[in-house]
Amino acid sequence: MEEQFAEFRVELDETGSVYEQLRIIAASLDSFIRLMQAALMPIHHCSFPQVKEKVKGYMSDLCGLYAQLAHVIKDKPGQYYRYHDLWRNQTSTVVFVLAFLHWLDTGGLLTHTETEALLNLDPAVFGIDLEDYLIGLCSFSNELPRYVVNRVTAGDYNCPKEVSTFLGDLYTAFRTLNLRNDHLRKRFDGIKYDLKKVEEVLYDVKIRGLLNGPSLQATATGHESNVATSHQ
Amino acid sequence: MEEQLFGTSLRITTGNNNNNNNSGTVSKRESVYCQQFQQYAHQLDAVNEKRERIVKASRDVTTSSKKVIFQIHRINRANRGAALQQAERDLHAVQSIHVRRVAQELKANETWKYKRAFSPGMQEFVEAATTLEFCKTGKLLTLQQLNASLSHLKDVSDAPFSISTGDYLLGVADLTGELMRLAISGVAAGQREVAIAVCGFVQALYKGFSQLPNTVDIRGMPKKMDLMLQSLIKIENTCYAVHVRGLEYPEDMIVNALEHEEIDSDQEA
Repeated sequence: MEEQFAEFRVELDETGSVYEQLRIIAASLDSFIRLMQAALMPIHHCSFPQVKEKVKGYMSDLCGLYAQLAHVIKDKPGQYYRYHDLWRNQTSTVVFVLAFLHWLDTGGLLTHTETEALLNLDPAVFGIDLEDYLIGLCSFSNELPRYVVNRVTAGDYNCPKEVSTFLGDLYTAFRTLNLRNDHLRKRFDGIKYDLKKVEEVLYDVKIRGLLNGPSLQATATGHESNVATSHQ
Repeated sequence: MEEQLFGTSLRITTGNNNNNNNSGTVSKRESVYCQQFQQYAHQLDAVNEKRERIVKASRDVTTSSKKVIFQIHRINRANRGAALQQAERDLHAVQSIHVRRVAQELKANETWKYKRAFSPGMQEFVEAATTLEFCKTGKLLTLQQLNASLSHLKDVSDAPFSISTGDYLLGVADLTGELMRLAISGVAAGQREVAIAVCGFVQALYKGFSQLPNTVDIRGMPKKMDLMLQSLIKIENTCYAVHVRGLEYPEDMIVNALEHEEIDSDQEA
């Protein structure tokens, strides 16, 4: 019996040190993500080009951190999910930031595969879990009502329509998923409320006849020229 | 596909997801992202359905393993040989039917993804297997031996299925609870030596467990260690009672006293 426990001691020491290695990298990732998110938040009151450069500046270090995680996991094939909890939340936040950035840039939705490509990830070794990606999208949705409110205050009256269309499309697409009664399902329900708030802002703008009138400060903040109107 | 009607301000139409759901105009435009999300839906469906199958198989492993353990508790001097053989056969059935169902769902790289779905079943199976082994030989069935008996169960990539160290340790922790019951019923049946053998065995187990580092990876280990210590204390108290009072009283009185003590201490706890 003692022999077996001695072997277990050795084994658990080893897995313990792998866990510790990953935990340290994930902790760096966590504080880094917060910086990146903080750099994006001024989008609520600043111009996109300013914010874009700052956030993109973080990208290469971010890729580096994920590369470190991937490097450890590479030696332990099949154990991505053993330690997944260590980077689950951080990854969802990364998806949120990248998806928001992408939408500000192009008006489109960043796909799962594109996210992995942005981070230089090889899904066969270390990818992004699909649920983490979807939850990241839900966080992105949560941010949009506030964004729309601030854009309208700044005089950009086209924003609500664009966001309403985008968010409506996102919600419709999400509805094709067969969700179980889990965490993802609860977050998905949140998208409905986000859409509702955006539509309320759209209504406010529309009934005041602001939609087709001149937008006062939109060109000054430079947002309009950056968001491609990809629908209609 | 589920849908919830959400207040009147949103006017979402149920069912057909071709309807656009904003600002009053019901255009028949499909969301541009639907195609992409169809892919995601397929992936999620595959994962969820597999997980459900594994959970069902794991539950069956649990129930059938528990039955084996109940049978072992019913062993007495009269039926020992036959009962052990029956338990052996039943354990083998658990393995070849239900554990096999779990094994067949797993690809080489997916064991950890679905771990939580089948872990409880594996722990119960380990508990049953180690209890039976102790009854037969008085020894601890090692993980290596257990996995050797499972090596004929193949997963999707044809690799042999094996039980993880974590599940094995948690199952062995549960074993101590069963051994405690065996010790007490052994005394009731007039076999004091069972209690003494169990005591030494569990003391060695507890020592082994206490020296394990870094069990942060294994969910629920601290609590199991607590329970293990409680079981060990009960076993030691049983041996004490047998030793001290055995000099004066017959077995059934001792067992009655022990059972009363158990009830008392459970009420205090």
